[in-house]
Amino acid sequence: MSDGRGRAGGAIRLKVHVDPDKCQGHTLCAMEAPEAFELSDFDGHSTARFETVPAGMEQAVRDAAKTCPEQAIVITD
Amino acid sequence: MTTTGDKASPFHFDRHAPEYIDHFDDLTHQLHEKCPIAWTETWGGHWVASGYKEVFEIARHGSLLSNDHDVHHERKGWQGITIPSPPGRDTRGGFLEMDPPEQRDWRRAIDPYLSPAAINRWKPMLDDLTRACIDERIETGTIDFVDDLANVVPAIMTLALMGLPLADWEIYCEPAHAQVYTPPTSPDMARVIEMTSVTQQKLLDGIRECRRNPRPGMVLGLIEAEIMGGPASDSDIRDTLGLLIGGGFDTTTALTAHSLQWLGENPTERARLRAELPELIDLATEEFLRYYTPAPGDGRTVTCEYELSGHHLEEGDRLWLSWAMANRDPSVFEEPDAVKIDRRHNRHTSFGLGVHRCIGSNVARTVFKAMLTAVLDRIPDYVCDPSGAVHYDTIGVINGMKHLPATFTPGLRIGKGIEETIGLWQKSIDEEGLARPVTRQG
Repeated sequence: MSDGRGRAGGAIRLKVHVDPDKCQGHTLCAMEAPEAFELSDFDGHSTARFETVPAGMEQAVRDAAKTCPEQAIVITD
Repeated sequence: MTTTGDKASPFHFDRHAPEYIDHFDDLTHQLHEKCPIAWTETWGGHWVASGYKEVFEIARHGSLLSNDHDVHHERKGWQGITIPSPPGRDTRGGFLEMDPPEQRDWRRAIDPYLSPAAINRWKPMLDDLTRACIDERIETGTIDFVDDLANVVPAIMTLALMGLPLADWEIYCEPAHAQVYTPPTSPDMARVIEMTSVTQQKLLDGIRECRRNPRPGMVLGLIEAEIMGGPASDSDIRDTLGLLIGGGFDTTTALTAHSLQWLGENPTERARLRAELPELIDLATEEFLRYYTPAPGDGRTVTCEYELSGHHLEEGDRLWLSWAMANRDPSVFEEPDAVKIDRRHNRHTSFGLGVHRCIGSNVARTVFKAMLTAVLDRIPDYVCDPSGAVHYDTIGVINGMKHLPATFTPGLRIGKGIEETIGLWQKSIDEEGLARPVTRQG
């Protein structure tokens, strides 16, 4: 499945996004990984700061996903 | 006979009874093991969802559960979010007793006053009010954490967000708490309802005054809002302000009192939290939210037939979502009955799940952290007096405390008292428009 997709420098890179239909603005992802998630000024709903997770931030993104009460953070590789 | 938790074999559960307070852990374990969704015969009969999996599945389901409180019998006559529904009630509990899309319109109107960015602007005021509360007591070496601190700061903050006069906080304070801690069958209920009706009138007066002389805040935001294609009525706005007062005053008080009591009983953990505050304050706050779950649950009405963990839910059934019990589910939380101030991956349900997520969650966290930080900084050796600590008679609505007296090594005042501090912040709010929404949708 990783053929030609999600690869950079030979390593499999994770992809992340926040499902806007599930996110309710609990803000815990940004508390866990502020470098990866940004909150709307208007209602605190979250978006990922990037689609492809930069090297070294995989664990922070996974931790944020585990912390989300709505399980709105989708990680794919 | 073995209880199956079906309608034919109910599980006795009464969250207004003393057993619910005294045996909460045992009751939770029993429900989780036997029937994480169970029918109980109390309060007219209703389901109790206590398992994390069950609560998660149905609370986030788009159309399975309704919050609608149809007080004028215009729709299906559903009873809103309180079980039992308060007797003689002829108004809805704001947008928490509505379903989308109406509920969404109300929330959109006040989101920009309550987002993390909006609330961050209030930190200087919160720190200053907290300082003033502690200054009022610091030379005496005694404080009641509820009466002198946790009742005060959340109340003033809520009025500030609304754009109402801060000095009026005491008028709203007792009824806001009493209507929550008074059991539905109490002889005192009539007095509480009377006190509440006085504040309802006060809120109506505030709305009318804001129409005449607009001033920034959530009251104006609601006056200007378009709800289902038109403006909201004064009485609907009043009901939503009542909801915001209930949510803003009592819940954060409850969280603060319980957390300070626990830290007083666990001085080693208190010293650790104080020493590592920047690293631990977020995690500790979420853990206190999980463990003490200030709003232990919410009622709903089932809208259609649904199979859940082997039980058959029917249209019109009443259902209680137990956030407090879901927060103790061992399948999600390791050692769920222990407080771990450094707990990770804490996806607790204390602000609810789904579209009704507590809209004041950012206020609650910020106000709580301001108070906790100041107490740890200025009176870190406090000792609570267990004989003076008073928990609510019923925690069916809010898991709160009426009093929490403590003693500590006296210290020196560093600023003005609470009354003068309130006056200074009122001036800043009026002159600088602090209660404006943080962003406007274009």
